[in-house]
Amino acid sequence: MLKLKANIMRVQRTPRKEQQIDQEPVDLSLLDSLIEKYKHKKGNLIPLLQGTQDLYGYVPYEAFLKLSRETGIPLNEMYGVATFYTQFRLNPVGKHIIKVCHGTACHVQDAETITDALEDALKIEDGETTDDGLFTLESVACLGCCSLAPVMMIDGNTYGKLTGKKAVKIVKELKISERN
Amino acid sequence: MSQLVNLTIDGKPIQAPEGANLLQTALDNGIRIPFLCYHRKLSPTGACRMCVTRIKGQKGLVMACTVQVEEGMEVTAFDDELESARKRTLEYLLAEHNEHYDGTYYDEFWYWIQHYDLDIPENRHYPNIYRQMHYPVDDTSPILSYNASKCIKCFRCIKACDEVQGKNVLSFSQRGIASYIVAGIDHWDDSECDGCGECVQLCPTGALVEKPHREEINLERVEKTVRTTCPYCGVGCQLLLYVQNGKIVRADGVEGIPPNDGRLCVKGRFGYDYVAHPDRLTHPLIKKNGTFEKASWDEALDLIARKFSEIRKRYGTQALGGYGSAKCTNEDNYLFQKFIRIAFGNNNLDYCTRLCHASTVTAMLKSLGSGAGSNSIEDFAQTDCLFITGNNMIETHPVTATFVKNGQYKGTRVIVCDPKWTKMVNYADIWLQPKLGTDVALLNGMIRVIIEEGLIGRDFICNWVDGGMEAFEKLREKVSGYTPEETERITGVSPDKFMEAARIYARSATAMIATGMGLSQQQVGTNMVFSLINMMLITGQVGKEHAGIDPPRGQNNVQGVTDIGVSPINFPGYIPVGNQDNRRKLAQLWDVPFEDLPDKPGLTTVEIMNAAYDGQIKGMYIMGENPMMTDPNLNHTGESLQSLEFLVVQDIFHTETTPYADVILPAASFAEKEGTFVNSDRRVLRVRKAVEKPGLAQEDWRIVDQIARRMGYNVGQYENARDIFEEIRQATPILAGVTYDRIEHEGLQWPCPDTSHPGTPTLFLEGFKTSNGLGILNPVDYTPQTEPASPEYPYVLNTGRMLYQYHTSTMSRRNKALSDFANESYVLMHPGDVRANGFRDGDRIRLSNPRGQLQTTVRSSQQVKPGELFMPFHFREALVNKLTRSDLDPDSRIPPYKFSACKVEKVEMSGG
Repeated sequence: MLKLKANIMRVQRTPRKEQQIDQEPVDLSLLDSLIEKYKHKKGNLIPLLQGTQDLYGYVPYEAFLKLSRETGIPLNEMYGVATFYTQFRLNPVGKHIIKVCHGTACHVQDAETITDALEDALKIEDGETTDDGLFTLESVACLGCCSLAPVMMIDGNTYGKLTGKKAVKIVKELKISERN
Repeated sequence: MSQLVNLTIDGKPIQAPEGANLLQTALDNGIRIPFLCYHRKLSPTGACRMCVTRIKGQKGLVMACTVQVEEGMEVTAFDDELESARKRTLEYLLAEHNEHYDGTYYDEFWYWIQHYDLDIPENRHYPNIYRQMHYPVDDTSPILSYNASKCIKCFRCIKACDEVQGKNVLSFSQRGIASYIVAGIDHWDDSECDGCGECVQLCPTGALVEKPHREEINLERVEKTVRTTCPYCGVGCQLLLYVQNGKIVRADGVEGIPPNDGRLCVKGRFGYDYVAHPDRLTHPLIKKNGTFEKASWDEALDLIARKFSEIRKRYGTQALGGYGSAKCTNEDNYLFQKFIRIAFGNNNLDYCTRLCHASTVTAMLKSLGSGAGSNSIEDFAQTDCLFITGNNMIETHPVTATFVKNGQYKGTRVIVCDPKWTKMVNYADIWLQPKLGTDVALLNGMIRVIIEEGLIGRDFICNWVDGGMEAFEKLREKVSGYTPEETERITGVSPDKFMEAARIYARSATAMIATGMGLSQQQVGTNMVFSLINMMLITGQVGKEHAGIDPPRGQNNVQGVTDIGVSPINFPGYIPVGNQDNRRKLAQLWDVPFEDLPDKPGLTTVEIMNAAYDGQIKGMYIMGENPMMTDPNLNHTGESLQSLEFLVVQDIFHTETTPYADVILPAASFAEKEGTFVNSDRRVLRVRKAVEKPGLAQEDWRIVDQIARRMGYNVGQYENARDIFEEIRQATPILAGVTYDRIEHEGLQWPCPDTSHPGTPTLFLEGFKTSNGLGILNPVDYTPQTEPASPEYPYVLNTGRMLYQYHTSTMSRRNKALSDFANESYVLMHPGDVRANGFRDGDRIRLSNPRGQLQTTVRSSQQVKPGELFMPFHFREALVNKLTRSDLDPDSRIPPYKFSACKVEKVEMSGG
């Protein structure tokens, strides 16, 4: 659990109860070289966010505050962009990312049941990460192999012609192999 | 004026300036094209697609808000196809909209829904899906509530925050149908939102609604709306007060007129609760055996009249004095000064300006012949360069600051000079951070750079400055010692910064100066302003549009009260008391014997207190001031008030000063009376009655009038405030052309010598107000402080204001919204000093020096330099003026609030 300090360079008011953010503390000094590189460049917002995600696997809450403080980009602008693009994550991801295709072909082949089955099996909602940190479940647009619909992709491997059961089985096997 | 073009809308011939917005042109001509995302003050968005029109020669439907008018344009605004397109658009919006309406806001969206009969479910084609969308509600802000299910994503709030207020706090989060507004990182209360409420005022639906009084307000039950002038700072914002059940329940900014054009700050919009606060004084109170007892007006007024008369008789006319009030109207104060001069028979009268701008006014009067700000508020958005020094305007004059930010966005170079970080630093090209109290050296250093680099305005000096190049040579000599190295040694500012600042200021086509308390509340305050004016005069950054010097006034009516003569040295209109012609004229106007009008300058604010301490002043009449919080060296002030034989305090609340009174009189607040205020840009603005006075409270001028009568003096026969203003016009030449009728719609800027005069937006365009019309250079040297930090008192304490509270906080702390934002005293200390003293952020610490001590909470912050401290003066729990001193500036008699040596120590909590 992490407690956040308000940015001190702002108009004074009564300090608020520190917001509790459900994230592990991260080493913010990793950001220094990134900020140095992009600080005074125009159009630096997306490279900064991408660089941050490369470092931590996601954009931690604390990183937003530091980036804003040191580059002068308002927090709301960063947050707006980070939530607009699906490429950015605001929470840590699991070791394996399961991307379930919901492109047109897969949609027609009922991709929804694949997602539902995985949600049930992993006990998480779409976009979330399992408590053991192994899996993150995501819905994505077309993966480009429509003839295999419905498909999912785990760590670069594609699985096609799925049913709910098949998908769950693949994930379970992966979980067992993790244990060994 | 740009060229006019001819166009037609639905066949109606219309003339409009070239380049004007088509939608606005249509609206201005009474053609009500529907729209939701457009607002006059904002750049066009084209998001709602309601204002579609057809333009001959252009393909498809065109959104009127995104088009500029052109010669010969033929526009169709209404036909069946356009109307059906609008209806369809609305229906889409409606399908994801939460239709619940609670009567607390004006809903533009719902207006059009009804207009197109879509409030009838049978007329709709799509089911409503807003519940499935799980739109969030952000209810964390103290002043507003955001409900995404009522948001139509029109961008007005985001643009209000960016383009109008220049704050940039809001954005969209997510995308498409799921998008909604966020402040900061999706938590309003943690964001940098400062509560101005511009977004609420511009929201066309009920997505953003203000929180205060949400439970009571119902627009259908609002009895009336009243236009008046804000009672807080000197910007003079025009307010629209909503009155329901005899109580103010909302305040909006009035759109379309200066000075604020609808903008407000958090105090103006949410700071009216105090008017109806149960703590209001409702009865005259007389101190009997040490406690205050309710009394009738007759009893109180007779006692006051008797006591004042006795003192005058026994000790002579010099034994009485009075403080007027910058919170009261011109009419109240005019009668007050007339009363002091006639009934007390002296000029011992002053008010808070002595503690704020005395040095600025003194320096400006000597150099330029006028102490008032030279420009209008709009100029802050139009000048090429703005030098802001000792002026934390984002907190003290938030609406003026919005114009600065607008200008900065368009390219104004902003230079901030302040020993403490202010929010304006974020908008500045350069931040100069001198050590406290070294401004003269810094300015002299800058003047030297300007001279050395040949950036002076030679023609200006020859034609506009008294003594021309000869006088200039004296200044050059004076500043020659302030080499970049020497200046850096004294001020701690690196030469490349102040040299660049000097160049920017001197080279800009137009440049303005916004000065403030940081410069004036100093032991050498007058000298500081002299050096500032020297820099302005040698560069010729005055005497033209968008150039000059502007000291924004701290209180709503500081300007007006000086204008109408609450001054120990001036009669109304800045005419010295010694001017015998004027004295004769006034004696006739006031119907008193010429020899009875005092022509000797009286005592100033702190001098009156000192005279009370010494036993020379025996009786005082304080109208709407709180010296037990605002005077320096408060322990001394307390002793002074105690040594008075008789003290009358007239106020709307009990204050820190009322316990010292013998009689307390209940007065009317700004919302309960008619009158006028004058704002910082010399604009005379109307104050109008919105609600009834509580209990037996009365307008200040009526009370003054009653006391005079019972003392046997006649201060005039008036039915109402308008009658008094008619007399003010006769006594005050600069206001002679201002009438209530002329300022009914919007204010007029003085000088306005006759009723056909349009007012004066910019001063000094035709020369200065000195006797020969020339500006005067006053070369000055830097002098070190007489109370520097010492081993025993190692810290230098700076004091000031904050956004959420106001002066002695008598009014502001009685507002829930403001107190929710900030309601506790603190001292800012550099993190290094915090560590060195073994403190932690949030510790209770004691500040002390030989004059007094106080306890407060330490906030570790890089906003101050090492060795310097900053404290707001609003909090009675930690009276910062117990530490300040009354070593007055020799020229202007202003106390040095901004510089007191002190020591710090941790407060050990008792009981573990």
